[in-house]
Amino acid sequence: MNDASPSLMSVDVAGVTVSYANGNVALRDASFRLTGGSICALVGVNGSGKSTLFKAIMGLLKPAAGTVAIAGLPVPVALKRNLVAYVPQAEEVDWTFPVSVWDVVLMGRYGYMNFLRIPRAEDRRIAEESLVRVGMLEFRDRQIGELSGGQRKRVFLARALAQRSRVILLDEPFTGVDVNTETAIIALLRELRSAGHIMIVSTHNLGSVPEFCDNVVLINRTVLAAGPTAEVFTQENLLRTFGGVLRHFRFDESTVQKHDGREVTLLTDDERPLVFGKGGHVEYRERAGREDVVRKRSEDEEDL
Amino acid sequence: MIQTLLAPLQYEYMLKAILVSAVIGGVCAFLSCFITLKGWSLMGDALSHSVVPGVAVAYYAGWPFAAGAFITGLLAAVGMGFVKTKTRLREDAVIGVVFTAFFALGLLLISLFPSQVDLRSIIFGNILGISNSDIAQVLIISAVTVLVLGLKWRDFLLFCFDPTQARALGLNTTVLHFVLLTLLSATAVAALQTVGACLVVAMLVTPGATAYLLTDRFSRMIAIAVTLGVVTSLVGAYASYFFDGSTGGCIVTLQSLLFVAALVWAPKHGLRAARARRQAAALAAAPV
Ligand SMILES: Nc1ncnc2c1ncn2[C@@H]1O[C@H](COP(=O)(O)OP(=O)(O)OP(=O)(O)O)[C@@H](O)[C@H]1O
Ligand SMILES: [Mg+2]
Repeated sequence: MNDASPSLMSVDVAGVTVSYANGNVALRDASFRLTGGSICALVGVNGSGKSTLFKAIMGLLKPAAGTVAIAGLPVPVALKRNLVAYVPQAEEVDWTFPVSVWDVVLMGRYGYMNFLRIPRAEDRRIAEESLVRVGMLEFRDRQIGELSGGQRKRVFLARALAQRSRVILLDEPFTGVDVNTETAIIALLRELRSAGHIMIVSTHNLGSVPEFCDNVVLINRTVLAAGPTAEVFTQENLLRTFGGVLRHFRFDESTVQKHDGREVTLLTDDERPLVFGKGGHVEYRERAGREDVVRKRSEDEEDL
Repeated sequence: MIQTLLAPLQYEYMLKAILVSAVIGGVCAFLSCFITLKGWSLMGDALSHSVVPGVAVAYYAGWPFAAGAFITGLLAAVGMGFVKTKTRLREDAVIGVVFTAFFALGLLLISLFPSQVDLRSIIFGNILGISNSDIAQVLIISAVTVLVLGLKWRDFLLFCFDPTQARALGLNTTVLHFVLLTLLSATAVAALQTVGACLVVAMLVTPGATAYLLTDRFSRMIAIAVTLGVVTSLVGAYASYFFDGSTGGCIVTLQSLLFVAALVWAPKHGLRAARARRQAAALAAAPV
């Protein structure tokens, strides 16, 4: 079975430098340490090296310098012991492959099966439970390509869950996934955290980070800051990480009226925030050019 | 009537040919499930042509043909891997360049040293004249291939479907890659005996491709492909007695006919099923 020793789970990334075959150094001297249970957000712009960092942790890319250790063990050993599961940003699989949802989830259990990889009752039970978790049980006999993008993502998430690894790497699990599923996944991650697991989640969804992540790693070709969310996830650090490419929504410049004059800033790396005002109408980012909207709304308020 | 139908079975050489073809047909079909899904069909063709110089040298030097063939087959595979990593050429170009180079070398060797090597039997196969030692080699290759694939098919399935996950689970994908490549070379050598270098690729692709059209489950795909491989080889070899035609030609023609049948009538992925679905959809959308 997997190393279910009560000892603390940990992920150590020490001075990792990764360069691609074309000489491009995607990550330089990245270091951070996580101990379980924890949900850690990995935040950075496109091309900042998030996926690269995941691949280095999984041993899919060999660091030119530095080391990765999981529970104090080198990566290959940790993989053999089923300590790490990984859900890539985009599954590069052949979607026409003759495998069903159920087959795919059972693949997560290979590490626990015997030489012939014949699933036991225990493996089936865990696979089924994982499918229930992501709400995909009714699709178990579907061929894997006959699913929507979000559903495919959930199946691969279920496979990672079925692996019962104590470290789970999720590369942008929420892109293309609806709100219900996102909420369900976050609830699940919280449960796993209580059980002592470490989850590293890359995301562009800055708003949800303080809600469910207790740790944050900010990255731009190297680790800019890492630590507890309250200390690291600050406006100053975020502006530094994103170098001004964030979308701001300053309330005092927007069409939102009757704010009390103190500055409130909404930052997002992902979609434009959709802000509804007190009357339930859409608010715009700039007041300039919307004078008519502002005037009309003031008049409406006076009518009341 | 019955006399006529049983006639081929009275000859020992026919009986041997039919049985050996069936074994090879089954093994190739088993492997074809992985080859088609891995996208190695062209690789199968390449390897079957690359073994030709090996066969020539082996006959010339008095080695078992399989040894020579196997060595040049692997050399070609390694050569392709090397050229591919060192250049920006696309894979199909690399395969095309390397295997034709090997095949040309084989032709050259055979024409320069026209000893007992019969070019026709290499290129078109000569199962009717197969020697007992060749049968032994074929059986050993087949037994090993069936054993390895039979025991580890689920690992190979994962390797073909999602190599990243295979590595994440701690499987050694480099070993899996080379074992599959080795089995492919070995099986190509065995199939060379029945259908010849030109048609080996059909045995290594068509049954898997046909089965792929008929099911969405990998285990069923294997069962269908192997059944097709064995039956077409049995029937094809048997029928070739009456036509007095090429054994390889008979087997592969039969396999191709079944592929076309599957293409048209497959219950879900066939052309007719697709048309029926389109019509049903049009009907449902039409105003009543
Ligand atoms: N296969 C590759 N070969 C060469 N360079 C690459 C390769 N993959 C990524 N890169 C480069 O490495 C850098 C980091 O890429 P990475 O995929 O890790 O970014 P990311 O943070 O995951 O971005 P995103 O938010 O878009 O997913 C980028 O500059 C990218 O151009
Ligand atoms: Mg990425």
